[in-house]
Amino acid sequence: MATIGEMAAGVAHELNQPLTAIANYAQACSRLLSRPGTDPSELQQALSEITAQTVRAGEIIRRLRGLARGQESERELVSVNALVREIIGLVECDARAHGVSLSLELADRLPEVLVDTGQIQHVVLNFVRNGLEALASRQDGTGQLVIRTALSEHDVEIAVIDNGPGIAGEAAGRLFDPFFSTKESGTGMGLATSNTIARLHGGSVGYRAALPAGVCFYILLPAKSTA
Amino acid sequence: MQEPAAPTIYIVDDDEGVRNSLRFLLKSVGLLPRTLASAKEFLETYKPTQPGCLVLDVRMPGMSGLELQQQLNLSGAIIPVIFITGHGDVPMAVEAMQHGASDFLQKPFRDQDLIDRIQRALERDARNRAALAERERIRASFDSLTPREREVLALMTRGKPNKVMAAELGVSQRTVEIHRARVMEKTGAASLAQLVRMAMDQES
Repeated sequence: MATIGEMAAGVAHELNQPLTAIANYAQACSRLLSRPGTDPSELQQALSEITAQTVRAGEIIRRLRGLARGQESERELVSVNALVREIIGLVECDARAHGVSLSLELADRLPEVLVDTGQIQHVVLNFVRNGLEALASRQDGTGQLVIRTALSEHDVEIAVIDNGPGIAGEAAGRLFDPFFSTKESGTGMGLATSNTIARLHGGSVGYRAALPAGVCFYILLPAKSTA
Repeated sequence: MQEPAAPTIYIVDDDEGVRNSLRFLLKSVGLLPRTLASAKEFLETYKPTQPGCLVLDVRMPGMSGLELQQQLNLSGAIIPVIFITGHGDVPMAVEAMQHGASDFLQKPFRDQDLIDRIQRALERDARNRAALAERERIRASFDSLTPREREVLALMTRGKPNKVMAAELGVSQRTVEIHRARVMEKTGAASLAQLVRMAMDQES
């Protein structure tokens, strides 16, 4: 289970990377400056890298702020369908770029949920991104992604379903652990963060096998009104 | 002394920013860095005959730094490993040291600390390689001995005088002396004591 403490550790780890890069470039610059005949363009290159890394660090902090704001709760009663529709433009773009076809299956007459819209959208986008990456092995254009909303007892479910290769056994138990990743370039924080966001909302995240193939990732949020 | 091939500093870190900054830093002090984004890429690139050392991020997706170290250990690689660790990875670093890592550093680090550690690792690599090469040279020289010379070697290492050897082998003392000289010459041993030590090393 990812706690706020673990998330903080995750952010600290992430921030440490650009800081390390900045320190390395700066120290290299000071070495180069103390040596005669240094090419200024070399220094220029290092300095622009430093700038790029500070921007990166700033983005990490902005993300953290976004999450912290959620804890102070800017929650409102919203329809999950509206929440999904708001980001669909973004998702379509992403899906098209990956050669994946996207469809929506939004249930009618769902109760509203009390959430920080941005945070829940972050979770859905994270599921979508994982789904698209899982479908990357299907280069033949048969990749499909479905975003589905449904009522599940007293919860409203938002699910992202792909028809990719599914999840290997060894990964299954650790998917929501901080730093665990099956991807070459993953930070291992995506699903862990999603898990934390769901818990902060009194909900949960999980996944199940999709039929006939692939995986369904879902977030369950407590229903607050009867539609 | 003939200068061997310039050592390569392999840098394996999944973070592009950290990787590129390390390459820049090491180049600025005249080292030859080679950056790789994953343990897998390293294994595909690395040639055990290439002298150098490995600067390795402990925590990476896919095969972690620790797993790569274990794989290198299993394959008998001698490349010295310097681990770089992030926030709160100290227990991992401790484990890495127990498995023979030559050093570790916490990110972010002072450039001089890294450079010193790299120099130490390169010295260690050069020593290891020289020792291996010498062992290999001795093995080849032992292999080049004729069966008769090998018999003489065995008796020499047991401290038998020429006279006894001549009797045991059924040859003249003069012949024994010739074989002895050939053994010393082929193995390059400067003394009987050194020859005995070489023979013991080969058996171990």
